[in-house]
Amino acid sequence: MSKKIKLQGLSMKNALDFKNLPLTRDEIINNTPLKEVDGKFAINENAKALHPDRQDLVILDIIDHCDAKTFVIGNADGKPVAYFRAGQYLSVSMKFEGSILTRPYSISSSPKWAKEGKYAVTIRRNPNGYAADKALDNFKVGDAVTVSAPEGNFYYEELRDAKDVIALAGGSGITPFLSMAYAIRDGIEDFNLTIIFGSRNYDSILFRDELDAIASECPKVKVVHVLSDEEKEGFEKGFITADIIKKYAPEGVYSIFMCGPEAMYRFADGEIAKLGLERKYVRKELQSVTKNVASLPGYPAEAEGKTFKCKLVRGEEVYEFDARSDEPVLVAIERAGIQAPSRCRCGECGWCRSKLLKGDVYIPESTDGRRWADKENGYIHPCASFPVSDLEIEVPGYYY
Amino acid sequence: MKKYDFIVVGSGCAGLAASLELLTKGHKVLMIEQHNIPGGAASGFVRGRFEFEPSLHELCSVGTPENPGDVLKMMDRFGVKVKWNQIKDCFRIISVYSDGSPMDVTLPAGKDAFIEKLNYYVPGCKDSIENMFALFDEVRRGLEYAGGDSYSVAVLMLKYLNLLKVGAQDCLTVFKALGMPQKAIDIISTYWSYLGVDMAHLSFPHYASMVSSYVTLGAAIPSHTSHEISVAMVERIRELGGDVIFNCRAEEFIFEDGKCKGVKTNLGEFRADCVLANINPDLIYGNMMDKSFVPEREKKLSAARNRNMSARMFTTYIGLNKSAEELGIKDYSIFISGTSDSVKEYESLKKIDTNNYEIFLCYNVDNPEASPEGTCICSFTTFYADGEEWSNVTDEEYYKLKTKIAKHFLDTLKEKAGLDLAPYIEEISIATPWTFARYLNTPEGCVYGYEASDWDNIIARSMSLKSDYADYDLGLLPIGAAGPRGDGYSSAYITGMIVAGIADKKYGKGGNN
Repeated sequence: MSKKIKLQGLSMKNALDFKNLPLTRDEIINNTPLKEVDGKFAINENAKALHPDRQDLVILDIIDHCDAKTFVIGNADGKPVAYFRAGQYLSVSMKFEGSILTRPYSISSSPKWAKEGKYAVTIRRNPNGYAADKALDNFKVGDAVTVSAPEGNFYYEELRDAKDVIALAGGSGITPFLSMAYAIRDGIEDFNLTIIFGSRNYDSILFRDELDAIASECPKVKVVHVLSDEEKEGFEKGFITADIIKKYAPEGVYSIFMCGPEAMYRFADGEIAKLGLERKYVRKELQSVTKNVASLPGYPAEAEGKTFKCKLVRGEEVYEFDARSDEPVLVAIERAGIQAPSRCRCGECGWCRSKLLKGDVYIPESTDGRRWADKENGYIHPCASFPVSDLEIEVPGYYY
Repeated sequence: MKKYDFIVVGSGCAGLAASLELLTKGHKVLMIEQHNIPGGAASGFVRGRFEFEPSLHELCSVGTPENPGDVLKMMDRFGVKVKWNQIKDCFRIISVYSDGSPMDVTLPAGKDAFIEKLNYYVPGCKDSIENMFALFDEVRRGLEYAGGDSYSVAVLMLKYLNLLKVGAQDCLTVFKALGMPQKAIDIISTYWSYLGVDMAHLSFPHYASMVSSYVTLGAAIPSHTSHEISVAMVERIRELGGDVIFNCRAEEFIFEDGKCKGVKTNLGEFRADCVLANINPDLIYGNMMDKSFVPEREKKLSAARNRNMSARMFTTYIGLNKSAEELGIKDYSIFISGTSDSVKEYESLKKIDTNNYEIFLCYNVDNPEASPEGTCICSFTTFYADGEEWSNVTDEEYYKLKTKIAKHFLDTLKEKAGLDLAPYIEEISIATPWTFARYLNTPEGCVYGYEASDWDNIIARSMSLKSDYADYDLGLLPIGAAGPRGDGYSSAYITGMIVAGIADKKYGKGGNN
């Protein structure tokens, strides 16, 4: 039996409303004039413009530095490219000798340039690398180049960071800070940026004139050069030490942002530890995956120097290829000429997230950016996982 | 080329449940997902040492192994295992009563405790609240009965008379009919935002099904973000022989002889007898197929709904470098609003400058595993009841605007709840309607589908399964928050199962195809 509940003003008349709910609904639908369905929504178009799947651009200009080049890439007709936050990177797609690969490069230009249809990325020669030298030797003005949307979380966030930011830059690690400096100059970002920039000698300082020019017209930006191999008046000598940071840091609270090669991070970590900063005030851009995996604790010695078989599946596609134990699984995939997604290449962004179906990998802890459930269920980030046995993996699709 | 019985496009909650339902019925299923992780909004993301929950506040209908709710029963039936944490309190609300006096109340989970506490805050409301719960119970059982294959009007009249009376009513009408004091109405209106419809336009049975589940069964969250739930479901799909491909985006549905026979994607074509699309119908019919195949009724339904999307989300996620205890956070959820009048509040949510509504959460209060020791994870969420302003923001204004809004809600939390969290933010991520549009590709970044209000409420939708689904023979069935059960994880799971059931009968082996 229905419980006796006093429902003032509601009667059996309302029961008819209930019974008629679908009829009333049908009536409203049927009485609506016929119209084609419009599936376009401005918010979605805005989101797509800010975060496109891919950007097909051309090389508009190339600027030579001593051992590096800046590539100005964009739309030939000046149509805006995806806007970004100073400090973000582009994942650049490349094809060389049958390999399909990507490399992340920080954007070095002002966000203002994006509205004019272009970005600048700077690539430095790297004797131990592969893609950098290939790009420097092969890319010409007019070449087509496909890049991702601007990516990454290495930017100033006023609700988290101190108003004073000390940037530690090594070599081509200056590029995100150059973009931040431009953004401050252009009124797009608002914080105080002191760049402590380590270079070998005076002549090898990347963007020396550009940095000087910004610093001279914009009081919020300061630049301190630290030369490792040259003594010069007005320049610090040696490496970026805690003492140098303290010398240029403000009295109160400040944030440290770091971008540079692995060796610089290793040294800087020790120096920063001496400063006693809270963890939230130290941020690192894309710490690259180790070049010497066998030296890490817990690495299975028997895998060292080996080459394993790797089977890759995606839907009905199946590939088999070799995978060296001293290189991340992603590199083996790229060497085999298979298109697979990747962006940060340092374990962080998870865009290459794949399912390990068989076999084992070694994942260095410092670059393991996986979600908890992925660790539990055998998902890996191939860019930061090294094969230690024969493997079978399932990879996702790609958009560029 | 491998041919499937069913392709499920999109691995949101509805897509996951639909795939599992079809697999348990013995079909060959392919699930494709545009993103590289499953779940749609039910996922997780990592920043520094924190893994953030993007969307789930509290999942209703979980319950306990001894007293399982629909979600737990579904997970058990599919063989999906998740570690759940029960939420102890229903909510704390800091607001203003209709009479202008300040409101700061905390309601515990559990029906008796809830009623006691409510009567403490509003003396004399007990009878009306007890009657409301009795009504909840009758409505729930009555809808279960009426939702079966056959029902008799006589039984409905005899056993579920009250359901008949309130079944087509909005919440305010029923509260008044119960003789509920205004202050009690002010407090129990709190959950309205979880359904995105103010109490004057929200169907009472819809509200009843959610609130009775939250209060009587309690709510739950997984230990390691919704990604844990979605991955567990994907793994089960694989175990049952289903294929799953990530970063595989449906671009266009393939039609042959007026019927959907597959889908074109960035990775090529896939074929099946029937496709279930975890995609908003406006996008399916507006962008993804030859318009000449769109059924006339679907065009009219879309026109009648008139792009009335529900809940364009704005959420700020923060990882803090102190524990909840150290920061003085005691509540799992705090609803902070300028008024307890949901009709007025809904109006204020149409504009960025007038929106003063936020739901603050601290996951660690009820989930010790939410973040590393000595830290905690919080979020604060609001939504916009209109898309116009977010449509007109330029990308140059966008980053400053999102920071400004997040700061406003952080300041409000300090002012109204006395929680000063700004100095402890180690990681922060701010998601706007653009962000949800980016990752989910829902219209305007909404997460609730079409507004489930007035004539298009979920009771009316649930009673229209025949005309909305079964009468068509298109081979293409939309699932998701726009479906019969509306928004929310549990609703989307159930919609996925219901529509998969219809698809199985129509296109599965032994069906009429």
